[in-house]
Amino acid sequence: MARRPNLGAASYVLVVGLLAALALLILVGPVLVVLATSLTDSRAIRFPPQGLSLRWYELLLDTVRSRPIHRAAGNTLQVAALAAGLATLLGTAAAIGISTLRGRLGRLMDAFFLSPLVLPGLAFGLAALVYFTLLRLRPSLELLVIGHFIVITPFVLRTVGASMSQLDPALPEASRSLGAGPWRTFRRVTLPLIAPGIAAGGFLAFMASVDNVPVSLFLSSARTDMLPIRMWGMMESTLDVRVAAVSGLLILAAFLLMLVMERLTGLTRRIRG
Amino acid sequence: MRLAWGLVAPLGLAYAAFFLAPLLILGVVSFYQDEAMTEFGTAQWRRFLLDQFHWKVIGDTLLLGLKTVAATLLLGLPLALVYRAASARWQRVLLFIVVMPLLTSVVVRTFAWIVILGREGLVNRLVLDLGLAAEPLRLLQTELGLVISLTQIEMPLLLLPVLAVMVRIDPNVLDASASLGASRWRTLFRVILPLAAPGIAAGCALVFASATTAFISQSVIGGSRLVYLPAMIWQQAMVVAHWPFAATAAISLLLSVSAVIAVIATAGRIAAGRVEAPTHG
Amino acid sequence: MSMNRRRALFGAASLLALPAPLRAQTRGSVTTAIYPGAWEEAFRDHVAPFLKRQSGVDLEMQPLFAVDQIAKFSASRGVPPFDVFVLDPGPRITGIERGMFDKFDASRLSNQALLPSMLVDGWGVGCAAQVVGIAYNPKRVPKPSGYADLFKEPWVSKLGLTGFGTTFGTVSLIEIAKIFGGSEVNIEPALVELKKALPKIAAVGAPAAMPGLFQQGQCAVMYTNTQTVTTLKDRGVDIEFAVPETGASAFFTTMHIAKGSENVANAYKYIDTTVGRDIQTALQKPPYNFVPVNKDVPLLSGLPMKSLDDMTKFVTHDWAKINPLRAAWIEKFNREMAK
Repeated sequence: MARRPNLGAASYVLVVGLLAALALLILVGPVLVVLATSLTDSRAIRFPPQGLSLRWYELLLDTVRSRPIHRAAGNTLQVAALAAGLATLLGTAAAIGISTLRGRLGRLMDAFFLSPLVLPGLAFGLAALVYFTLLRLRPSLELLVIGHFIVITPFVLRTVGASMSQLDPALPEASRSLGAGPWRTFRRVTLPLIAPGIAAGGFLAFMASVDNVPVSLFLSSARTDMLPIRMWGMMESTLDVRVAAVSGLLILAAFLLMLVMERLTGLTRRIRG
Repeated sequence: MRLAWGLVAPLGLAYAAFFLAPLLILGVVSFYQDEAMTEFGTAQWRRFLLDQFHWKVIGDTLLLGLKTVAATLLLGLPLALVYRAASARWQRVLLFIVVMPLLTSVVVRTFAWIVILGREGLVNRLVLDLGLAAEPLRLLQTELGLVISLTQIEMPLLLLPVLAVMVRIDPNVLDASASLGASRWRTLFRVILPLAAPGIAAGCALVFASATTAFISQSVIGGSRLVYLPAMIWQQAMVVAHWPFAATAAISLLLSVSAVIAVIATAGRIAAGRVEAPTHG
Repeated sequence: MSMNRRRALFGAASLLALPAPLRAQTRGSVTTAIYPGAWEEAFRDHVAPFLKRQSGVDLEMQPLFAVDQIAKFSASRGVPPFDVFVLDPGPRITGIERGMFDKFDASRLSNQALLPSMLVDGWGVGCAAQVVGIAYNPKRVPKPSGYADLFKEPWVSKLGLTGFGTTFGTVSLIEIAKIFGGSEVNIEPALVELKKALPKIAAVGAPAAMPGLFQQGQCAVMYTNTQTVTTLKDRGVDIEFAVPETGASAFFTTMHIAKGSENVANAYKYIDTTVGRDIQTALQKPPYNFVPVNKDVPLLSGLPMKSLDDMTKFVTHDWAKINPLRAAWIEKFNREMAK
């Protein structure tokens, strides 16, 4: 059968191609703008930068004059590490458990545990603040860890859940029929197979915690200053150009981490699911 | 079976104690009559629901989410189609580009847009230099500027589920469609999109949820002329310190966002049900 | 909450042993609330090191506007998130009414004699004066003569507005209201005028966002205090302070000890240091440009007055009347500004 005239195909390629190019431009552009802005020599945050220098990076890395920023970064990393650790532990266990539940129950549990992803973070942040205050608990890093843990666990659940569903059931079955007990099977067969999924989930959970704003907005305080909140202040009120340098470092770190995770776990494949 | 429950229990308990309980308490707090939280009543709910201004704020917030979803779909779906057609190597590069912004912190991304959309920012420089306008465009503090920046900030959330679903579509189905005489456009709308519907719906839900709650972006790029629910919640909770009213607003945000997401999910299921073609993988 | 009780609560809830650094250190430190921006920088650069050198006390700072401090303290319900308040007059009255402060014993300050008596009472002491007027970019607009000019060209299309969330915003809007027939208890005339001018106004933002908007060129004239002007000038922004023809507004910033604070002795040391001559002199210099309250410190020439007594000619406001109305004003502003 004859094909339609190429006009249809040509317009398709043109429109789709242009829009996709626009999408890429929009995705990448701002990241490059931030990097360029961080190299400015002047005291103003603008693009294109006036003069090029690394002075803001130097100032940022000065442990005396940038101490509050370092502390906020330290807090953020501490909370992220602990929250991601908790999320990975409990999330992996739950994902494995859910994968054995069939049908409706499994889907229900899945939806329930994934719900923090689609619920407004701000509402949860306020709820957490009210809850902890009524329990007479002072704001602290511990409470931040708990708050973050709730909102980042869905990432672990997704990647580990995907790994479990892609697991060929024949393999653990073979292991059991060869006489290995359930724990041994898990440790020697299942775990290594889903390990990349666990690692990817842990990584995403970690990054989600570093980036979290709604929970940190409500639960942080003087001693538990968090990096995104401090950056917001630097951006709007104090007009501190170091915010661009921090952003530059974060971009670089994210880029490097992604490269590493890609080599180790084929991250991009895991995220797709 | 017991083992399964044993594995799920720790997370379940954590969720019960630190996710469900706070939300329930928030609900209870919204039923206090007054700021000092001394007696119960529906005063705050009546105050919220009987005021037309608040409905406008809810509507604007939901509309912002929908506009962002539309914009991300318009740009993201073509990108997903290109991804589908790309070689494995290019697919990895594209995925990298898509995921990177997600990892660079929402504050960073918001800050980039101030520099781009400002009166003396990148866009205006180009526009003025190229003579496309006599006066700088007003992009900051407008909903247009806000939607543009939210599109970039949220697009990765749409793309991840969509890309996952796109690659699973069996190329044989597309070949069949083409050999039956369908133009590429027709194939797109009658075959590809319905097959990808679950992923698209999931992506839209994530974008919607994130855009409606994006407090910093709304506040920094949108300014105070655009009043959305997150700003109201923040103001009532932290500036005016009226917890019951803040709780009322927060729960309203929760319920309205969940309602729209339920609609999106249902739409996805209906669209997917219209085509029963095998997918591989 | 005592260390043991908190530990027990946590032992039950957490699966991981949390490292020691996560526990808040309370020995030898004091936590102060402080205004974001110039205040935070000034205190970090001068007060904190001086306090550490003189008394070995660490100063922790939590950036919060005055009204946010009250809100956060109320929200914390008995477990104060900081030891010392730094407040504007309105929140000060709220704090007194709601019993948020420890009774203040001025005799514990070595510098008590150097402070004007009107700034010392049983609730706290004044630590700086604030002057509010109009800031403008001399390269883009001519100097406005008063608040009425803000609604005319060439200023209105470059005007940056903010609402009642802070003291400087509130007093400025009250002054605007007065010009159009209002008073410190009736700000409707101001809202009416703002609504009329809204399509032309350049930017409406949160108080903390105003410096950023000015620097980015989104607005070229706004009402603000002298601190913001000097901070922006220091960042290379073209900005000048204009005293409105109806008079600059003035108020004092005061420090109070939070009820339930665990670091009262350190709090007194911190307050004493702040009102002492060394700090007051340092804070007066650029780029902070605080207005000192210590009688021993001569006022610099850059300020809109020659001595503290001159400030009696500036406009002041009765916060006992304003406070009960502010929450409603905040909401009204939202409504009027929403398109």
